[in-house]
Amino acid sequence: MATVGDKPVVASGIDVGDARRRNVAAPPPAISQPLEADDKKKAAKKSPSVLDVLCQWEWLYAPIIFTALAFFTRFYKIGLSPIVTWDEAHFGKFGSHYLKREFYFDVHPPTGKLLVGLSGYLAGYNGSFEFKSGETYPEEINYTFMRQFNAFWGAVCVPMAYWTAKELRLRRPTVWLVTLMVLCENSYTTISRFILLDSMLLFGTVATTLCWAKFHSQRKNSFDPEWFFWLFMTGLSIGFVTSVKLVGLFVTALVGLYTIEDLWNKFGDTKMPVTELAAHFVARVMGLIILPFLIYLLSFAVHFAVLTNSGPGDAQMSSLFQANLRGTEVGRDSPLEVAFGSRVTIKNMGYGGGLLHSHVQTYPEGSSQQQVTCYHHKDANNEWFFYPNRRDADFNPEEDPRFIGDKDIIRLIHAQTGRNLHSHEISAPITKADREVSCYGNLTVGDDKDHWKVEVVSDAASRDRSKIRTLTTAFRLKHEVLGCYLRAGNVNLPQWGFKQIEVTCTKENKPRDTYTHWNIESHVNEKLPPGDPGKYKSPFFKDFVHLNVAMMTSNNALVPDPDKQDDLASQWWQWPILNVGLRMCSWDDKTVKYFLLGNPLVYWGSTAGLGIFALLVAWYTIRWQRGYKELSQDDVDQIHYAGIYPVIGWFLHYLPFVIMARVTYVHHYYPALYFAILTFGFLVDWFTKNLSKVLQYGVYGILDAVTIGLYIYFIPICWGMVGPNRDYGYMRWFENWRVSDA
Amino acid sequence: MASSATPQGSLRHRNVPGSTKKNKDGGVSDVEVDKVVKATTPQKAPTVSERDYKIVFTLITALAFLTRFWGITHPNEVVFDEVHFGKFASYYLERTYFFDVHPPFGKLLFALMGWLVGYDGHFHFDNIGDSYIANKIPYVAFRSLPAILGALTVSVTYLIMWESGYSLPACIVAAGLVLLDNAHIGQTRLILLDATLVFAMACSLLCYIKFYKLRHEPFSRKWWKWLILTGFALSCDISTKYVGLFAFITIGSAVIIDLWDLLDIKRPGGALSLPEFGKHFAARAFGLIIMPFIFYLFWFQVHFAILTRSGPGDDFMTPEFQETLTDNVMLANAVTIDYYDTITLRHKETKAYLHSHPDRYPLRYDDGRVSSQGQQVTGYPFNDTNNYWQVLPAVQEETPKMGRHVLNHELVRLRHLVTDTILLSHDVASPYYPTNQEFTTVSLAEAYGDRAADSLFEVRIENGKPNQEWKSISGHFKLIHNPSKVAMWTHTTPLPEWGHKQQEINGNKQIAPSSNVWLVEDIPSLPVDDKRREKPERKVKTLPFLRKWFELQRSMFWHNSQLTSSHPYASLPYQWPFLLRGVSFWTQNDTRQQIYFLGNPIGWWIASSVLAIYAGIVLADQFSLRRGIDALDHRSRSRLYNSTGFFFLAWATHYFPFFVMGRQLFLHHYLPAHLASTLVTGAVVEFIFSADSAESEAAFQAIKAGKKPPAVKRHISARERLAGQSMLGSWMTTIVMLAVVAAGWYFFLPLTYGYPGLSVEQVLRRKWLGYDLHFAK
Repeated sequence: MATVGDKPVVASGIDVGDARRRNVAAPPPAISQPLEADDKKKAAKKSPSVLDVLCQWEWLYAPIIFTALAFFTRFYKIGLSPIVTWDEAHFGKFGSHYLKREFYFDVHPPTGKLLVGLSGYLAGYNGSFEFKSGETYPEEINYTFMRQFNAFWGAVCVPMAYWTAKELRLRRPTVWLVTLMVLCENSYTTISRFILLDSMLLFGTVATTLCWAKFHSQRKNSFDPEWFFWLFMTGLSIGFVTSVKLVGLFVTALVGLYTIEDLWNKFGDTKMPVTELAAHFVARVMGLIILPFLIYLLSFAVHFAVLTNSGPGDAQMSSLFQANLRGTEVGRDSPLEVAFGSRVTIKNMGYGGGLLHSHVQTYPEGSSQQQVTCYHHKDANNEWFFYPNRRDADFNPEEDPRFIGDKDIIRLIHAQTGRNLHSHEISAPITKADREVSCYGNLTVGDDKDHWKVEVVSDAASRDRSKIRTLTTAFRLKHEVLGCYLRAGNVNLPQWGFKQIEVTCTKENKPRDTYTHWNIESHVNEKLPPGDPGKYKSPFFKDFVHLNVAMMTSNNALVPDPDKQDDLASQWWQWPILNVGLRMCSWDDKTVKYFLLGNPLVYWGSTAGLGIFALLVAWYTIRWQRGYKELSQDDVDQIHYAGIYPVIGWFLHYLPFVIMARVTYVHHYYPALYFAILTFGFLVDWFTKNLSKVLQYGVYGILDAVTIGLYIYFIPICWGMVGPNRDYGYMRWFENWRVSDA
Repeated sequence: MASSATPQGSLRHRNVPGSTKKNKDGGVSDVEVDKVVKATTPQKAPTVSERDYKIVFTLITALAFLTRFWGITHPNEVVFDEVHFGKFASYYLERTYFFDVHPPFGKLLFALMGWLVGYDGHFHFDNIGDSYIANKIPYVAFRSLPAILGALTVSVTYLIMWESGYSLPACIVAAGLVLLDNAHIGQTRLILLDATLVFAMACSLLCYIKFYKLRHEPFSRKWWKWLILTGFALSCDISTKYVGLFAFITIGSAVIIDLWDLLDIKRPGGALSLPEFGKHFAARAFGLIIMPFIFYLFWFQVHFAILTRSGPGDDFMTPEFQETLTDNVMLANAVTIDYYDTITLRHKETKAYLHSHPDRYPLRYDDGRVSSQGQQVTGYPFNDTNNYWQVLPAVQEETPKMGRHVLNHELVRLRHLVTDTILLSHDVASPYYPTNQEFTTVSLAEAYGDRAADSLFEVRIENGKPNQEWKSISGHFKLIHNPSKVAMWTHTTPLPEWGHKQQEINGNKQIAPSSNVWLVEDIPSLPVDDKRREKPERKVKTLPFLRKWFELQRSMFWHNSQLTSSHPYASLPYQWPFLLRGVSFWTQNDTRQQIYFLGNPIGWWIASSVLAIYAGIVLADQFSLRRGIDALDHRSRSRLYNSTGFFFLAWATHYFPFFVMGRQLFLHHYLPAHLASTLVTGAVVEFIFSADSAESEAAFQAIKAGKKPPAVKRHISARERLAGQSMLGSWMTTIVMLAVVAAGWYFFLPLTYGYPGLSVEQVLRRKWLGYDLHFAK
């Protein structure tokens, strides 16, 4: 090992890295230059052999070679399959929405999809394709470029893994091994080659880890420019990764734990002035909380700024927001004041609230009457008529419009089925403490349990409460007989209610509970003159919170459904042991087939590594308790930062999927796998450091060779399998690796 | 001092530079120094004597029995879950097999009680509100069992505090909070399992503390006694309900910390050699894991030994299991199937018969795929001659050879009698599932001609042995299409109009799922009085115990995980410490009486806020230590972290796991955690109102520095520790606190005991946090 070259290698490694990854940041000042020159001089004196020169320049050519290989493996024949593959159907479609600037809704934050949109824009695509799963791309879409754009993020992970391993003070052969394991990881390769968010997520995770490791290396140089640089780079990558997918929060948690430990140590250092302590604290709050949050906010700001047209996701947002979208029905030409006989849609004003909805399906329990729900999409079943109560004069279409105001008692009639909004002394299906709300009777059949009292809460446009106005009036609906309030609290119904939001009548009178607030969204009444109520803009921050709550709500609805068999989904325990793969497209002979499966050595090795690491730690702590002093402070630090932190990272990325009761797929394990690989690298490094040179070469040689060998063996599943799937039966080592049908 | 000496105890020293050296190198532990301090500082007259503890103990126990037994005869009707547990006791007494998700111990106790008073189990506790008097049930005897255990729980709480060396006021506070708690009272005077559960949990804490106090005499007779008793209490806990596992976590964590200290080379008592440590380890593993597990299995053995007759639980078990029960209907009617028999096949899950009729599959389905246009094969829920199929051997025979049994794994053909066609499957997609194969029938000529291979099916009996006979009713089997290896399967989505809304039958590529299981319901070709239907006196079979246990265990876990449906009075864990909601157990309209299961709000709020105070004290202490400020004397800290820490751990391990549990939860799940929180409350009250005297602390530091040799090892009692201190503060607090708690208890008593009935106004006064009480209008 060329220990002479070690220090400058690290330092200048940064330079090269940054120069190449132009998008990350400007290179730091070239402090390393003199050192390097010095180094060269020394080397020159000894008139180095070829091998020495090779070693000395490793920092330069190794990442370049790895990057070149990464780009080759990720880009090779990337356009082979001309059909929409797997979740390209989703993310490609979202990209199209950005190009068409139509407002859509999705559970993931926008950055990743914005980038997909950008790639489409760069490819000259106009957003007209629907990205139906399994469909062939039309001529005009340069899907190859879009895939390459995605593959770029996946490929860049490889050199970053190289620098991370280096920064964790692993020895050169281990650094190579770790890099090789990331490079020759079939699942990483495959997932990076399509228009998906996973390559960006992986990029963000790897980048955050790299920045964290760099920042950790700077711990002795607090408040230096470089220290600040890596602090803010960490914050930047956290912001990026969390605004791609919320899984990024797990790597954020890793950095958070590190920061807490770091601050706790500084807190215990009584020699440190309190001002300095405070400075440390403030710097971290700025860099690791405020900066990422700003980036997250920014991604939504761009999202709102791009999506200015009305689109499929409108109904997720508040009525006021919708009224400001171009091409929307909401607030356009609709009469301002609501009267009896008006046909309206009624929107819940709570965060993530939907439109009051009913459909012919009935409750399976309780009253067995027609369901009433909140629904987030435009649908004729969202329409209701305002009718006078049964005691008042009947509605007569010929008479002059009678307006509705505060304290009026009304009936709501569902336009499609003609039934009345109704509630009774029966527990709601999920929120048992509340009453069930159903649709019952018709124009003539019914009782006073169809009566609701309008209680105006506020009106953004006027102080006059004698009329309720489209969009601007917030009102509550109080059940006249039971005295309860109509509420939709973001609780999803089971499959029988199509996972729509439960609507209940709550006994609690909480005037400020926005889930009991409703407003009129669209309003049709031919007798009234059209107005323009949509001139009030809803504030950005409110839209932001609204959209985020809506994302959480529909995320919670993604629970596995026993009625619906999904043979693509897999269970958490299957991932680390590589029990199962995933077919990404149809498996007939004509399609180019892609299969998500990892490199067996990487998976099994890294999983075994986690167990061995636990034993290693147990071994050393027990020995320590028995009085053996065999580890130097350096060794302990090495285990701590290069071993324990990656393991924590693995747990943070893995355990949530164990606990989470939602549908999970193999690719949810990929960020965790990265940390398992780092742990594996640490272990190999640890166990070989005292071996003889020959043995070391042997171990590394075998590991490298097997990794590469298996990668090549399984490469058809990444690059696409052409022809009948039975030809690839040799890769079906186990029943569950359904590479072929045979 | 309870449990877990001291990673925390020495933590202080690790953090504070300087003091570390002394402790580690000097080999003088705090505890030993204490003895020396005691010996050197003048003893003052003890303020509280052992006798006082005993008097208070007797008093509290008496009160506990009084509160638990008061009006136990009321209501004389079935209340809430008595429906279940009363019923199970009856089943035990009738010896009929039943199935439940809880392990048997708690239920066996009730059965024992019933047996002792000579009850025969004739009543099945069918509905809440059924009268006990009319049905002649010794319900008072049943209820007195939990009442006794509930009362003893109070005594055990007191003993835990006493054994842990807390002052009398602390003991009284802890025991008083349990004594005057409406939830504990309410839950433990009805036929429910929680009294057993909470009592066993409290006992396990007590036994472990006793055991830990004997740590200086390892492997002595007493040491073993308390170790085994701890294990036994833990075993009873988990054999009552699976939440008993949390007590294992509590004790287990304490044991791990203890073992860790035993491993320490610089251990105060001198380092243990590894073999010695191995002995410690093995003793605990035996006493706290292996032995409890054996007891746990033992209760199942008792369970199986008692339940020898077929009953409502049969359906949960496999046919092999059912054959071990006497007069099992299903097995009584099992007939061995022969070739050329006509049979009806029924799908186990959806109860549909395999059916066929002359209609054909439509050429093209709605989604554009095409069918074979073959004769439809469907699932039909009603009896019909179109459900009749004849079993034919794989090889066509000129003259049928009668009287041969069909064996497991044999290949057969099935002939549809009415249309005289043969069942077949082939590589054509089924109407609904493009991935599954279509089932149809073909003429005999085809079936024995070109399609000979496609009409062969293998009978694969579930858990069957080779050459096992295929029997009607008991022989659950899968019908595997021989060439393609798909299993005959059906599901509930009805076919469109062309299929008369009957069920689709198709070939499932996934063979393993249990939804592929079918059974032969009858053999219509056999006359009712045929000789083959005659039953020789059937012998009850036996199965190895472990196999029965394993099967039952799997079934229990599976059904436990299915308990996700919602209940009107279910609550969420975060609501419990605040007592936001109770459970309505029983109501009676005529008298306006009701039992509403609810804790004593005052007691619960005190206990919960003290938990927060405790956490605050520990955090504050850690933060100040980190900055080098040492505000506590060593002994207070040691008790704060070790003893009170153990109680806090017990609370946390009995509370937080519920947050990740997906099943239906109720307020009574908090009872064990509530008991732990009262222990913390008692301990914190003492912590706040007592401080070690400055004198002894000074002596402590001096001796530590001087490295005096260790003195006798002994546990210090509260009397010694608090010698000479004014206890006025803690007595005052105790009295005031208990007075308020007693007031709350008394106020909510009508809801706990179910009488007297309350007027609207009285009910409204008790709706503190909007408790959903009845008769509020």
